[in-house]
Amino acid sequence: MTLYLLKRLAVLLASTAVAAVVVFAFMALLPGDPAEIALGVNATPEAVAALRQQFGTDRPPVAQFLDWSGGLLQGDFGTSYVTSSPIGPQIGDRLGVTAVLVLGGMAVALAVAVPLGTYAAVRHRDPLGAAISAVSQVGIAIPAFLAGILLVFVFAVQAQVLPSGGYVPFAEDPGEWLRGLLLPWASLGLVQGAVLTRYVRSAVLDVMREDYLRTARAKGRGSTGALWRHGLRNASVPVVTVLGLQLATLLIGAVVVERVFVIPGLGDLLLNGVAGRDLLLVQGVVMVLVAAVLVINFVVDVAYHLLDPRLR
Amino acid sequence: MSDPVSTLRVEGLTVRAESLELVREVSFTIAPGERVGLIGESGSGKSLTALSLMGLLPEAVTASGTARLGDRDLVGVPENRVKDLRGRDVSMVFQEPMTALNPLMRVGAQVAEVMTLHGTPRHEARERAVAMLERVRLPEPGQVARAYPHQLSGGQRQRVMLAIALANGPGLLICDEPTTALDVTVQKQMLELIAEVAPALLFITHDLAVVASVCERVLVMYGGRVVESGPIREVFTRPRHRYTEGLLAASKLTPRGTRLPTVQGSVPSAGQFPDGCVFRNRCPHATPTCETAPALTGDGHAFACWHPAD
Repeated sequence: MTLYLLKRLAVLLASTAVAAVVVFAFMALLPGDPAEIALGVNATPEAVAALRQQFGTDRPPVAQFLDWSGGLLQGDFGTSYVTSSPIGPQIGDRLGVTAVLVLGGMAVALAVAVPLGTYAAVRHRDPLGAAISAVSQVGIAIPAFLAGILLVFVFAVQAQVLPSGGYVPFAEDPGEWLRGLLLPWASLGLVQGAVLTRYVRSAVLDVMREDYLRTARAKGRGSTGALWRHGLRNASVPVVTVLGLQLATLLIGAVVVERVFVIPGLGDLLLNGVAGRDLLLVQGVVMVLVAAVLVINFVVDVAYHLLDPRLR
Repeated sequence: MSDPVSTLRVEGLTVRAESLELVREVSFTIAPGERVGLIGESGSGKSLTALSLMGLLPEAVTASGTARLGDRDLVGVPENRVKDLRGRDVSMVFQEPMTALNPLMRVGAQVAEVMTLHGTPRHEARERAVAMLERVRLPEPGQVARAYPHQLSGGQRQRVMLAIALANGPGLLICDEPTTALDVTVQKQMLELIAEVAPALLFITHDLAVVASVCERVLVMYGGRVVESGPIREVFTRPRHRYTEGLLAASKLTPRGTRLPTVQGSVPSAGQFPDGCVFRNRCPHATPTCETAPALTGDGHAFACWHPAD
C-alpha cells in the first residue's frame, strides 16, 4: 500500500509538471503582448520595451517558465500585469469559495443518488422504482446552468424565499452564507445526482445478482440486511469511479454556475481575467483547475485501493 | 445450538412458479447422522427442493407442503422467522465457491458473521471462526482468517463455505453440487471432509459416483418428482424405475467401440412434462397404463413405475 501510494504520488507530481509546461506553452503561443496591452495603442516603442523588461517578458520562454514554475512551487503565482497586484492570494480566496461550491454540489448529488439509486434497484419491478429511473433520465438532459435559472425562477423570483445570487462570506454571516449557497448547490448537485442515480442503480442491481448476497441470506440475514452489509460497499467500487469523473465535471460546471449566481469563485475570476486580458491571471487559474482535476484523480485511485483488497 | 436429535421430515413439498408446478409432492426423511443423496438431471427440481428447505427460493416462486426439522417448521414460515433458522438450524454449501464469498471482506470476519448473527458475542465469534477454519482442515487457519477470498484457491474457499455452514452446529447440512467446480484432486478430500463433519446431509449432485461414495441413501428426481428412493446399494445395483435404470446405464463404463448408452430424448422444459408418469415420453417401456401417474410405493426401496425393471 505504501509503495503504491508513493508510486501514485510520483505520477501525480510528474503529470502536474507536464500540465504546467502545457499550460505555459499554450498561453505563450497566444498572440498579444502584456506590455502593449498595458500601455495601449499610443505607447512609444521605447516605453513598451522598458515595460517588457520590467515584466521580464523580454527574456527567453524557458527562463520565463522556470521563473513562473519556480514561483508556483512556493505558492507565488506572479504579479498581474494589469492590476499590479499579486495573483496568488486572489486565487487562494476564490479557490476556497469554489471548493465549497463543488463539494456542496457533490454532497447534494450523493444525498440524492445513493438513496434513490438503491431504492430504484431494490424495487426495480415496482412503478416507483421505474419512475425514479425515468426521471433521472430527464435530469441527465438538463445542463447545470439551466437548472440554476429554473431554480432561481421558482425559489427567488416566484416564492422569494432564497436570494437569486450574491455571496456573503461565512465569517460575516453564516446564515446568509448558507442561504446564498443553497440554490447553487442544488443546481450543481441535482443534475449530477440524476446522472449518479443511474450509476448507483445499475451498480446495486449488479450486486444484487451476486452469489455472496445469497450466501449472506443463507447465513440468516434478510435480503435488506444482506444488501446493506455486503452489497453497498461492493456497489460503491464502480460508483467511486464515476464520482471522480463527476467531480471534475462539477469543477467545470461551477465556472458557469458562479456566473449565474454571481459567486466570486475561481470561474468568476477566470472569466474576469479573460475579459481584462490578464494573461498571467488566466494562466494561474487554469493551472489550479488542471491541478485540482489531477488531485481528484489521485484521490479516486487511492480510494479504489482502500475499497478493494483485490487491487492491493 | 439446535437439538442434536432432530430428524428432517418433508411431506408433500410442492414448489410453484405462478401456475407451473416445478416440484410436486416430494416426501422424504433424513435421520440425524444420515447422509442422503438427491440426484437427477438439470431441471429435475433438486436445487429448488433444497432452496425451499432454506427459505431461499427466488422471488415469485413459492413452496407449500410441510418440512420440519425436529420441531421447527422450515416451509410456509414468514421470512422474518425463517431467516433465524438459516445458518443456525439448516445450512447450505453452494456449487460455486469462487463467487460465494464477499470479495471485500476478510475470510475470518465472514465466518464470524454467521455466529454473531445468531447471538454469539463478537470476540468469541472471532476466536471460534479460527477454530472452525481449523476444523475444515485449512492449514494455518489464523493466516487464512486474515486473508481475502481472492487469496485462496477454489478448494480452500469451499472449505471456508463449509466452515460457515457448520459454525452454529446446524441439524442439517445441504450441499448443492459442492465439488462440481473443483479440481478432481481436490474433490475427493472435500467429499471425505463433508461426509465426516455433516450432522445430517442432503447432498445434491448429478454425479452418481460421488453419491455412491458419500451417501447411504439416495433419492432420484425427475420432472419435479421423486421417482425412486432407497439405500444406495440397492438402488444402484438393482434399479427399478426405468429412469434410474437409464441414468445408471449412461454412467457405466462401456467397452471401446460400443455406442454410449443414453437416456433417449431430453428433459422437457418446466410445464412440458406429460401427464401421468412424467417419464413416459422418453421411456422405452411406456404403455397406455402410464397415462395414470404411478405412486411412489415400497418400503425402504420405493419407486413410482408401472413397469419396473427386475
